[in-house]
Amino acid sequence: MAEFVQLLFNGLVAGSIFGMAALGISLVYSVLHLVNFAAGDFLTLGAFTTFYLATSQHLPFVLAVILSMVIGVIVSLILEFILWRRLRRSGAGMLALFLVASGIAFILRQSIALTFGSDSRRFDLDQLTTYEFLGAQIARAQLIVLLCASIAITGIALFIKKSNIGKDMRAYADNASLAAVSGINVDRVIIATWTISGAYGALAGVFQGTVQGQFTNGMGLDLLLAILAAVVLGTIGDAYGALIGGFVLGVVMDLSTWDALAGGIPSTYKPVVGFAVLVIVLLFKPEGIFGVRARKI
Amino acid sequence: MTAILQPGFWVFILTMSGIYGIFTLGLQVQYGVGGILNFGHVGMMALSSYTMAILVIAHGFNFWIAAASGVAVAALGGAFLGLTTLRLRGDYFSIVSIAFSEIVRYVIFNSDGLTGGSQGSLAIMPIGDAYPSYTDTWDTILYWIRDHLTPIFGEVADRDMAMGILVWITLGILLFIVSRVERTSWARVLRATREDDDVPSALGKNVFRFRLQAVIIGSIIGGIAGIYWALQVTLLSPDDFLTIVTFYAWMILILSGATKVKGLAIAAIFFGFLYGGTRFFTFWPFSVFDASQRSYMRIMIIGIVLIVLMIRRPQGIFGKREEMVLE
Repeated sequence: MAEFVQLLFNGLVAGSIFGMAALGISLVYSVLHLVNFAAGDFLTLGAFTTFYLATSQHLPFVLAVILSMVIGVIVSLILEFILWRRLRRSGAGMLALFLVASGIAFILRQSIALTFGSDSRRFDLDQLTTYEFLGAQIARAQLIVLLCASIAITGIALFIKKSNIGKDMRAYADNASLAAVSGINVDRVIIATWTISGAYGALAGVFQGTVQGQFTNGMGLDLLLAILAAVVLGTIGDAYGALIGGFVLGVVMDLSTWDALAGGIPSTYKPVVGFAVLVIVLLFKPEGIFGVRARKI
Repeated sequence: MTAILQPGFWVFILTMSGIYGIFTLGLQVQYGVGGILNFGHVGMMALSSYTMAILVIAHGFNFWIAAASGVAVAALGGAFLGLTTLRLRGDYFSIVSIAFSEIVRYVIFNSDGLTGGSQGSLAIMPIGDAYPSYTDTWDTILYWIRDHLTPIFGEVADRDMAMGILVWITLGILLFIVSRVERTSWARVLRATREDDDVPSALGKNVFRFRLQAVIIGSIIGGIAGIYWALQVTLLSPDDFLTIVTFYAWMILILSGATKVKGLAIAAIFFGFLYGGTRFFTFWPFSVFDASQRSYMRIMIIGIVLIVLMIRRPQGIFGKREEMVLE
């Protein structure tokens, strides 16, 4: 029982991070029709800028996190203005968008490697305090991550549902030309989309860096697989689906190592479980778990 | 800088270009004809090369049988990928394919007992006290060729040159076969499915089956590239099969104009120089970086070239813009 609670909790923490990153990819896809392969490296960027600001520049940690989110947004917007906008206007197809996103991922990852080297880093945070809950050891850092992520996720879900920009985003994702004709400010929708994706990517990166303890410049890339699986699982382009997909995947991946399940699988194979879940779901439900044909956002 | 002057360096670049050329040809069949966006192509190379190495080293298989089995496993990998995701929208296939190749690499990295794990093929347990090598049969052929080259090229003739010649002969044969295949009715149907599913379906063609065949054929060619890769590097490591290798192939494919076979060899050589040549960027401003930092920059340059190509010349160097179908 204690092990189950432990794994469930770990899974929820991992799932909240997957969900936040998956949300960014899904939103960007629904509005801009591009799969942002660089999303993983935006997580790494967030973790490393936070590390630099908090540890090297001695800023308060929370301020460092907020500044990192701002940097994530700025980088996303610069890319929008110099690359994505131009590609959209030239009518670039899926392949061009895929390859440009991958090119950005390479440049971003190697820039981080060039700046910070290949050593692993850690945040100067209390990683040791743990609480006991139903026999499970729950780290304070994990608990804070789960709480903050839940707040961030609820906040963004409400924002998309209630706010005017959120409604514009949903309208634009549903029918771009109709939305543009009805006077929705398309540029504002696109900027809001990149802002959410950039800020949440950076925040998810900080959370992942905190939970992992140590992280290297490959952190985001290692997570990309699970994040993409969460996106597809929750139906690509569906923001709420991505959040739920993230949680499902996080919990399933961690519970798969449970001893009671025929000994559980070795924890190094967790990403394989994520992939297996994805393939099985796609075989039986090609539109993702929550997909009702082509529902958007 | 002296290494640039040595013939061995050029032979190396050309051999690698040829292997990447074969590898890219697999994508060419999938994308250039079928419009299928496979980003997990490197997984097929990993499957074939590791299958071959394991069968030869750990089970004492004859090299040719092991190599054929490797290519067969790559074909099965393609079939698995296609059967599970090819029915779905194109972007799903791309995402799952990238995940597929990462999973293959991940499993190879973590299955120490089978693949040697992070230590690579050197750590595969050989039969008896043998040295864990899978190149013996191939080396015999290479040395035989070298001995016949020596009268012509003198001291320059070596194992690497023999390897380069075999790689380019293979690429030439495969290019010929693929260019013939692309003139068949099979390829015409496949090309029609690239534009839209409805017309070929209405004509009674099973679109899914045609796409699946394209993925399997592409995977077989990718598997052949994997065998050559294994023979060229002589020692496999899971890091040989990072996702970026698939993107090298995409870069070659875009450079060559994607829908045409003829530019592929030249585009592969261009890539080889870009990839191999950047290690000699020892002059200013690159001289401020050390060797490992320059290797980071090499991948950055690939990323920049990809982006600039897609923005400035999506039709590649050899393609015509009006013929280029970017979906």
